[in-house]
Parts: sequence; C-alpha cells; structure tokens
Amino acid sequence: MFKELAFMAIDSLRANKFRSLLTMLGIIIGSATLVAVLSLGNALQSQVFERFVDLGTRRIAVLPGDPQARGARDIPGYGLLSIQDYRALEQLVARHPDVFRTIVPEVSLRVQARFGGSAANPTVVGTTKDYQMVQTVPVQYGRFLTDDDDRQAARVAVLGALIAEDLFGKENVKDAVGKTIEVNGQPLQVIGVLRQLGGPFSSDQRILVPVSTARLRIAGSQDLPGRGLQMSSILLSLQSERLVERGEALVTATLRATRNVPDGAIDDFRLNLPTQALGVLAGINGAITGFIALVAGISLVVGGIGIMNIMLVAVTERTREIGVRKALGATDGDVLSQFVLEAVAISVAGSLLGVTGAIGLVALVGVAAGLAVSISWVAVVLALAFACAIGVGFGYYPARRAALLLPIEALRYE
Amino acid sequence: MNTETEYITPAEAIDYVTEPVVRVEHVTKEFVTGGNRFLALDDVSLEIHRGEMVAIMGPSGSGKSTLMTILGLLDVPTSGSYWLDGQDVSKLDRVQQARVRNQKLGFVFQNFNLLPRLTALKNVELPLVYGRVGAREREERARQALEAVGLGAKLHNRPNELSGGQKQRVAIARALVSNPAMVLADEPTGALDTRTGAEIMGLFRQLNREQGITIVIVTHDPEIGKQMDRVIGLRDGRITENILQEYYHVALAAEELELPAREKETVAVPVIRTEQE
Repeated sequence: MFKELAFMAIDSLRANKFRSLLTMLGIIIGSATLVAVLSLGNALQSQVFERFVDLGTRRIAVLPGDPQARGARDIPGYGLLSIQDYRALEQLVARHPDVFRTIVPEVSLRVQARFGGSAANPTVVGTTKDYQMVQTVPVQYGRFLTDDDDRQAARVAVLGALIAEDLFGKENVKDAVGKTIEVNGQPLQVIGVLRQLGGPFSSDQRILVPVSTARLRIAGSQDLPGRGLQMSSILLSLQSERLVERGEALVTATLRATRNVPDGAIDDFRLNLPTQALGVLAGINGAITGFIALVAGISLVVGGIGIMNIMLVAVTERTREIGVRKALGATDGDVLSQFVLEAVAISVAGSLLGVTGAIGLVALVGVAAGLAVSISWVAVVLALAFACAIGVGFGYYPARRAALLLPIEALRYE
Repeated sequence: MNTETEYITPAEAIDYVTEPVVRVEHVTKEFVTGGNRFLALDDVSLEIHRGEMVAIMGPSGSGKSTLMTILGLLDVPTSGSYWLDGQDVSKLDRVQQARVRNQKLGFVFQNFNLLPRLTALKNVELPLVYGRVGAREREERARQALEAVGLGAKLHNRPNELSGGQKQRVAIARALVSNPAMVLADEPTGALDTRTGAEIMGLFRQLNREQGITIVIVTHDPEIGKQMDRVIGLRDGRITENILQEYYHVALAAEELELPAREKETVAVPVIRTEQE
C-alpha cells in the first residue's frame, strides 16, 4: 500500500512540475542554507582552530607579568621572566611526563638582517628543536634546528618565508639554504626556510635560531641582574587538551615558589591558556552558525507554509478525484496518507534538491577559497529529517480536510 | 458476537439463494438546508435480487440520486435499514462503509471519473489497491476485466487517448474488477452519443446475462428503462408504480414487458415485478 501511495505522490509531483518546484523553493533554500552554513561553518571553525593550533591548543604560554597591574609589587624587574623560571619549569616537566610533553624557551629580539644589498627588520626567536611541538613551523627547504645547534650555539638560522623573500627575492628562496646572512652584524648560515602559513601568529616574519646562539651571539647581554638570561616567554606543551587545568595549577605553583611570590600577592606572571581562546572562538562560531541555522529553520517553516497552501489548493482541485477514490473504497486513512505523503514528497524532494545544491556549493567554495571543506552529514540528515517533519506537519491539515470530505459531496463537486 | 473488524455477517449465516442483494426497508432521507427540512426519500422499501438488471427512474428531484447514494453507501439514511448482500449496512462507520464499497459495490458514473494520469490498467487496478490486493494479482485481474469489456488492446492508454465509449468501458471494468455484489451506474450513457450509449447498454446486458452480474442503473432515459428487467420508479421521494407508462408515457409492447429470455439461468431470479408493499 505504501508503495502505491508513494507512487501516487511522486506522480502528482510530476503532474505539476513547475508548481511543485515553486512550492519547494522555501524548502530548497532552507535545506541548502542549513547544509551549506553548517558545513562551511565547520570548515571555517576547523580552519580557525588550525590557526590556533599554530599557537598550540595543548599549550600553556608563560608570559611576563604586567607591572601596571593592580596589586603588582613595586620591585625592580617586576614580572620579567628569566632562565631561572625556565629551569624550574624544566624540572617540573621532567617530574610530570604524564602532564607535560615538552618545554620551549622563546627569546625574542628585534634585529636587523642583511643579505647582500637587501635588509629587513625581523624578530629573531631563540628557541630549541622542540619549538616544532608548540608551533606549526613546517620546513620547506633545508632542516629545522637541532639539539646540537643549541649545544654549539651554532651560527645557524631558519628563516620565515617572508623574511627569506625579503632577503633573497621571491624566486631565489629555494636557493637560500647554505647562504650566509648577517643578523645584527653576526654571520648566520641559513639551514632552513619555512613554508608560508599566513596569519598574525605564524613564523613567516621571524628568524629562528638556537636559544644559545640568540643569547651568546646576538643579544649581547639580555641578562637580568642576578637571574640570568631574560626570556620573552616560556611555552609548555601538554599531553592533552584535558590537562590544561592540571598544568596551569602545576605551573602556577612552581613559578610562585621559584619567584618567591608572597602568599596573598598576585602572580607576577601571566599564563596564556588555549582553552579560553578556543572557548571564545567556538562560542562566536556557534552563535553565528546558530543564527544562520535559525534563519534556515525559518526558511524551512515558511516553505512548509507554502506547502500547506498548495496542498489546500490541491485538495480543492482534486475534490472529485478524492470522491472517486472514496467511492472505489479508499478509507479516510488512505486519503489522509496519500495527501500527507504528497506533502512529504514535496518537502523531501525540495530538501534533496537543496542539499544537493548545497553540497555542490560547498565543494565549489572549498576549491575557490582553498578551504579544506567537508560536508556536514549531520546537517544533511537534519535538513532531510526537518523537511520530512515539515511535510507531515504542514501536510496534515490539508490531508485531513481531504480525508474528511464526504464521498458524495466530493463526487458532486464541480 | 462480532469483533470490531468482523462486521461482515459470516458467509454461512447468509442464505444467498433467498436473500436479495439489496433489501431496503422504510428508508427516509432528510436534508436540512437553511433551516428548511426537505424529505428526499420518504419511506422507501425495495428489494433487488441477484442477477437482476434494474433501473431507478424518476424526474429531477424525485430522490433517485439520493437513493443511489444510499445504495452506494456514499451516504447514510436518516432512518430505515439497508441490507446489502445479506448484511446490515445502515449503521456502519466510515471505514466499514469504505470497505463495503470496495468489496461489494462497483460504480459507473456519467462522466466516467477516471483518473487522468493513470493508464486504463492502473485505473482499473485502483479498487484492488484499496482492497490491499498484491501487485501481480492486481494487474492480472485488471487485465482480465479490461479484456472482458473489449479493451484488451488499450491497457496502457491514458483516458485522454480513449474515446467516450472506451472510457466508459474502462469505468465498467473498474466497477467489475473487485467482483462486486452489485454494479451501480449513474446515467452511464448520459455523456455518450446514442450509438455509443447503445453499445454500453449492450455491454451491461451482456455482462448481466453471461456473468449474472446485478446491475442497477439510475437514469431518466426511458429508452434505457425499456431495456431493463424492471424499473423502480420514484416521484417526490416515494416509490411509484408504472413510472415508465405514467410519467414517461412509454407505451410498452407486450413482449417488452416480458422478461428477456435468459440463456444461462445461473441464479434463482424471482418473478420480476415492480415492488409490492
């Protein structure tokens, strides 16, 4: 029976192709919007998240405290980070391998770099080979820093893509490895060039050198009185995103102890936790996605009203047909099912069209914008299920009117 | 005694030999329009027997259409009872009425009422669809029904590809396909030219004689009335006798008043007369 009813429903769609299409429009747009927005939203979100992975989603950054902050103590060099803090945290990391994966120093210096006639003013970051574990620094040519480089304070440098272009010219970047540049007058051999990533947090504009090289050969004396080398920041990589709170507590306790922060005083350092940023980001993204999904939902409901309208017209138009069917033995339930199924066929067909269109659109946007897009199958299922529900919901009332027609009146209808 | 679905009187309880197909007793039908009561049927009683070919005749407003809708279970009487094929059908709910229409009745309409988007075969299958008959059997039976009305070559034509006479043949096949107890035809030749109409009447007569199908035709055409086994006359909602002669002024030849000769007497048919109270 269901097969026959389905056949009837599809046949009646085909009988009024243009009208069916117009009726479907709301559902098409609604479904397409839903799928496109949720899919692209996902892609956008994962892309933004990937950018954040550059900074590390599993990373705690220790930054200098703000001497202007309320409650900051009035002592010389307040808030600054030094190698002492680094050593203390290094031990902490060694004691808690279940929480921390690695620790990386960052000594940032504004420098002047030269190669031949070209000059640039990049930031040199003194760090270690583990920098790769907290930052996305894909090497395009040559190699990254090694432990040996650090031990020997080797005169080597890994160039960010844009710096390499500035110094060597765009077409010569691939030949940069092995060349010697001058940084603050110090000759450094280029051992690697990074792939360009874009974005404000990438290393495109940086020169990476071993931390020992930065200290001994470039910084001159960056040492803090009595505390050793000053650090711009210390990055700790966690084993898992779930360990952020645990890591935060451990780092805070360790630093307060090392830095002799009296009880009751505020931390004289700042921790940059990824969860906050990710949470805010996800929140914004969710709000936007939710809003557009709501618009899509409204479009679907409006589409449903269109279906209800056309079904009411169809019931009036086909009153005689209903009468004939009833005379031939169709029960009220048969007629009800037929018209509900017809409404569902309109809405689901519309939804399928919309979903198909959206998949095409998403793929196109993916290619055009170079995004790694993936269709949100949840959205597809959601769109189809919602369309189905709308077909039933808005088809029920007209179908009931059809079902309750008296056969004799329906047959006499002119 | 009967469960909800077992509303049909068990077959063994019905005496099919003596029980008429239609037994209507003291049926009235009242319409109320704008506060005015109108008695469309006033204490109508009649019987139609198995294998009969009967016309219901009367002028406009005589109540013949109302009687037809009640016989066809398309409407319910205000009072009185109606036994169809041995079963009291005057107090059925809508679903049960639909089932009885589907299984016991075949309808033929003046304007054919075929569904335009379905082929002849699919149109004929329709009652079987609602009778929940499987697809293969459905198609086979529809094919046979169409062959029986001489349309074996037009199975896959849509109504707009058929002539008026052919459309009515499809409609007759559709009425026959579920082996009903009775075929109800409402002005079946009304939309046809004289010659085609005569062909359709010939088909009805042939089906009636060869297969013993009970046929009830509502008409105001005395030419059709003349060809019937019997005429049930209605005037002002009441059964009236000799309507052909008295209202339509048809002078019936002596031989036309006789029963047409039956070659195969498959069922016991009582002597045909107008209803006696």
